Amino acid sequence: MKRQIIGFIHKEFIQVFRDRNILRVIFVMPVVQLLLFGYVVNTDVKNIAMRYHDFDNSPLSREFIDAFRAGDYFAPEPSDQPIYELNRHFETSEADMVVVIPADFSEGFADKKRVTVGLIADGSNANSTNIGIGYASRIANQFSLNQLNIEPPVEMSRRVLYNPQQETVYFMVPGIVATLLTMVTIMLTSMAIVRESERGTLEQILVTPISTWTLLLGKTIPFAILGVFVMAITLALGVLWFQIPFTGSVLLLAGLGAVFLLTTLGIGLFFSTVTRTQQQAMFFAWFFMIFSMLTSGFFTPVANMPPFLQYLTLLNPMRFFLVIVRGIMMKGAGLADLYPETIAMVLLGGAIFSLAAYRFHRRLL
Amino acid sequence: MRKILFIARKEFRHVMRDPRSLVIVLMMPVIMTLLYGHAINMDIEHVTLAVVDKDNSPSSRDLTGRFFASKYFDHPTEAISDFEPEAILRSGHAHAVLVIQPEFGASMERGDKVRVGLIVDGSDNNVSAAVQNYAVGVVQQFNMSRIPPGFELPGVAIAPQVMYNPDLRSSHFFVPGLVAILLMMISALLTSITIAREKETGTMEQLLTAPVTPMQILTGKIVPYLLIACIDGAIVIAMAQIVYGVPFVGSHLLFAGFVFVYVSTALSLGVLISTLVSSQQVAMMLAIMITVMPSVMLSGYVFAIKYMPMPLQIISHVVAARFFVPVVRGIMLKGSDLASLLSQGIGMIVLLIVFMSLALLRFKKRMG
Repeated sequence: MKRQIIGFIHKEFIQVFRDRNILRVIFVMPVVQLLLFGYVVNTDVKNIAMRYHDFDNSPLSREFIDAFRAGDYFAPEPSDQPIYELNRHFETSEADMVVVIPADFSEGFADKKRVTVGLIADGSNANSTNIGIGYASRIANQFSLNQLNIEPPVEMSRRVLYNPQQETVYFMVPGIVATLLTMVTIMLTSMAIVRESERGTLEQILVTPISTWTLLLGKTIPFAILGVFVMAITLALGVLWFQIPFTGSVLLLAGLGAVFLLTTLGIGLFFSTVTRTQQQAMFFAWFFMIFSMLTSGFFTPVANMPPFLQYLTLLNPMRFFLVIVRGIMMKGAGLADLYPETIAMVLLGGAIFSLAAYRFHRRLL
Repeated sequence: MRKILFIARKEFRHVMRDPRSLVIVLMMPVIMTLLYGHAINMDIEHVTLAVVDKDNSPSSRDLTGRFFASKYFDHPTEAISDFEPEAILRSGHAHAVLVIQPEFGASMERGDKVRVGLIVDGSDNNVSAAVQNYAVGVVQQFNMSRIPPGFELPGVAIAPQVMYNPDLRSSHFFVPGLVAILLMMISALLTSITIAREKETGTMEQLLTAPVTPMQILTGKIVPYLLIACIDGAIVIAMAQIVYGVPFVGSHLLFAGFVFVYVSTALSLGVLISTLVSSQQVAMMLAIMITVMPSVMLSGYVFAIKYMPMPLQIISHVVAARFFVPVVRGIMLKGSDLASLLSQGIGMIVLLIVFMSLALLRFKKRMG
């Protein structure tokens, strides 16, 4: 029995390693992509391109503009378009906001009236516009308080834990690693069985006296080993090259990483049993990859998604793994902190493997 | 021309013979647009905030009440038993902890300056930036409410006016971007196997002995998929308008022209991949690796290109979606004209020519 499994795995290994191109795709591409995308900066809204029309042009209005310049939220510059064509700024995307200071700005201020400043914003990027308007009204409030010599009674001191400098690399790399692992493992296994049946070699295997489970294990284990290698390489790159702190237990991450790989491999295997051609399998794999990437909490938090989608994310192992990687690496979280995610992945993995075995059985009959 | 159509018809039969795949190709964009139009939503709401109120006076309750009155903050779902902020954050029960010191209310009565503390989980940058932003706003609002009555507050008010997307709906920004990356991925995946399949099944020789030039073979192979991809594009755009209410301000004709160029570029990338490898499996894997992550990360779909480091900005020029994302957003939301999108169009055409020439070069080398 044991010799059988080992023999079968051996055959699978030979099959995978025979194709040098596959190895290149599996090992070289993830490394290159991680090195590139680690440097992608996430949408921290800074230096918003701003143009202004100052119809007052008084010391006070210039001080107001300078208040916007302070800090790195805005980069105000005088507008070079006439006021009635200020949307040219937005059509060419050279500016995202235009401030219009009325001619009676300093006069109204001196009369202790409330003066209104116009702020016209390009709303096509809803998120950064929203944040930008928030910044702008806060700057205006602060400016008013300063001018009136009113000191705010309550001040807030802020402290950011785990990533105080808000380095985007720390945030990006775990997400990229999880995405790459999902991609590689699902792509490989989703082809595994359908490839044999498309080429007609599945019959040859079926006439040999190996059980369904042996066959499924034999199809999974080589890819699991490859997956572990890819995980080790990419995470090592994250720590050594990108200098991401690793505060938690390496052993725990390795163990939970293995559980994660089992779930993605199981999903790939399942796809392999429900499709008829390699192309179909690849489409399923592709669909699942996009699903796991976009709903994992990598780009936006899961709590932000509509409720039905939040329920669907329970089928996404990457969602749990991302919490685990960020937790262990950055927060030093232990198993006690991460048990809900761990249980979810184990359940998911067990369910999907059973489903794959069931489908495979039915196909044989 | 007739020869191109001949190859195209042959390829078209391939597609029609596997109707299941065709259904998948036409259905997937629909499902994906339905699912993900709202998935990428940068308006961070429902941040869980744990409050450690050591004062519990009317003033402190007023302050914490203001946090939860805004739509941004929620109470943690699980009861907090540990009042050590770091333990709360590590367990993931809350994104941030607000700490109010015992003498808060009394000091405020005396008119002393008081401090409150906010400890934020920095492991998710998106959330931590938003939390701080909102919290500063809440405290400022609280301060404003504390200015004694009768003390008229003049000063400056900002009157914001938002163009193109007055309700600031995230979906208006992300759904058009989704169109660009979906078309890229589907197109490249479709053509990536065309040549590899012929090699794998051994029909390549037959094709090569036929009296057609390599250029005719490659273009002929693209034509059927051009049709499919354009249909996909039309479906997704229609859905963006119907399901998500994304406006379409600009010219439909101009848009169709851009879709045609963009899809051709994506398809030719698939053909290039197909000439590089010898099996369908590797071809598809390569197509996925080359299109999925780069078009999501380097196109400006989620992350703005202008904030990236210089080398990455330069590299982003080989990602065709980088040119198409501003085109979709420009035409749909702002009604941009050809003049303001010319550089994007040129970028796509240059890529198209490069991909096609490389594919042709590889293909000819294989024949010789």
